[in-house]
Amino acid sequence: MPPLSVRNVSKSYEVGDEMMHVIGDLSLSLGQAEIVSIVGPSGCGKSTLLNVVSGIIPPGSGEIRWYGEPLSGVPARAGYMLQKDLLLPWRTAIQNVLLGLEIQGVQADAARDRAEIMLDRLGLYGFAASYPSTLSGGMRQRVALARTLVTDPEVMLLDEPFAALDFQSKLLIENDTATLVRAEKRSVLLITHDVEEAVSMSDRVIVLSQRPTRILRVYEIDIPGDRTDMMEARQSPHFTQYVRSIWNDLQSTARPVIKGLQ
Amino acid sequence: MTDVPSEGQLERSSLPRDARRARLRGRILARAAVFASQVGLLAGLLWLWESATANDRQTAFLFGSPSAIFGFLVQMWRDGSLFRDTYVTGVETLLGFLLGNVIGTSIGLSLWYSQSVARVVQPFIIALGSIPIIALAPIMIIWFGTGLMSKVAMATLSVVVVALVTSYKGALSVDPDKISLFRTLGATKRQIFQRLVIPSALTDIFAGLRLTVGFALIGAIIGEFMSSSEGLGHAIFKAGSLYNIPKVFAALVATIALALFLTWLVGQLERLLTPWRNAP
Repeated sequence: MPPLSVRNVSKSYEVGDEMMHVIGDLSLSLGQAEIVSIVGPSGCGKSTLLNVVSGIIPPGSGEIRWYGEPLSGVPARAGYMLQKDLLLPWRTAIQNVLLGLEIQGVQADAARDRAEIMLDRLGLYGFAASYPSTLSGGMRQRVALARTLVTDPEVMLLDEPFAALDFQSKLLIENDTATLVRAEKRSVLLITHDVEEAVSMSDRVIVLSQRPTRILRVYEIDIPGDRTDMMEARQSPHFTQYVRSIWNDLQSTARPVIKGLQ
Repeated sequence: MTDVPSEGQLERSSLPRDARRARLRGRILARAAVFASQVGLLAGLLWLWESATANDRQTAFLFGSPSAIFGFLVQMWRDGSLFRDTYVTGVETLLGFLLGNVIGTSIGLSLWYSQSVARVVQPFIIALGSIPIIALAPIMIIWFGTGLMSKVAMATLSVVVVALVTSYKGALSVDPDKISLFRTLGATKRQIFQRLVIPSALTDIFAGLRLTVGFALIGAIIGEFMSSSEGLGHAIFKAGSLYNIPKVFAALVATIALALFLTWLVGQLERLLTPWRNAP
């Protein structure tokens, strides 16, 4: 039973008197311990898709199943992470990591141990008592990642989580994410506009079309070697081919920026 | 567990000691310069006032003079009325401030729970907020007598709507993405309220507190104007009706000192309750 399956989902919004079709007709599934990336031109409804899948907004039509069960409300075994770190400024780093465990009613000592271990694994040893306002963007996003991972989600829904980071911070946190996710056999649905990130992190890349969004192409990523090292992935000759091909797909679906030139 | 730094281990950076000390000294100097200018400005204004009223008895009668005001302050200090009046008005203001903010903030925050209730009561709140507080003074005196309680009621009334509106606004301004995050973590509405809405609203609540210190003082003094036998409002009213303008100013100085003290108290409370905002 795949952790997540999406069948013929569509979604429209009413904008003024007109209906805007955001998601056309979309089907995909996310397997156990699989990392799947979704790339698409900007404004194609990637984030809407993630919000529909995670039960935050209802789909217009179609069916979403989590472990075979129809989606009702917010799925329990999913973790969620956005480009904004959404750290609570009144909580220290470790208190932010503890948030999910507190909500789930995990016993305080056990929760604290788990949070400390997770912060250590993400290289934040010694920053447990720091307030978010004193941390850099990369460190804040690491705290957010620790907060997501510490609740032990089987599926992680990531919406451009590393988009705001500089290249170096981004690669390091991608490595750590891939390491922790693959070691624990978690499934990941990663929404991104960064084609290189999609190819280097994923087992599968789904390319979406312009609105109303459909699946344009699906790539099974076959890169040999250590899949938790984003630099090593970039050295594979396949890597460049995937990136170029996905880039061409995106170009073919992109709307012309200046209409008069067409 | 051994602390082998993992890849991407991040180190705290620290400035060299000398540089930090120099920067600290610069900051203290800058602050001292501002303070010296403020004292100078005050002294200059007082000197102008004093010299303008020194040779003319009529202007001295109409505008008072710093030396006469100081004389009354000393006299009020000696006969104990300075402390007693300030204390009475301070207690009225503080009680009204606390009561009004507790009631207003509780209602404002709990309106977050139900949008439909909020929509229903909104026009009533606006209507209540638009009443000039002074118009309520006669009723308060009839209901609560001429003692402490009517002034506390006046102070409470001038605070409560502002506290309600600012705290409700604070509760509404919670980042919707954070609410989604709490939902994905499985939070109940009550957990979202306690762990997200209340702390998020604290910034607005404290802005409201700083604003309502002054409002509470206005309420208490209006109450004293209407009917009272003690308090700074009473002292001002009495001195005013006797055309004793320097004494009016002397009581006003005490009122300003009281307002500054209460504002300082709120600032200390804010520092205590929102430690993350003083983080370096």
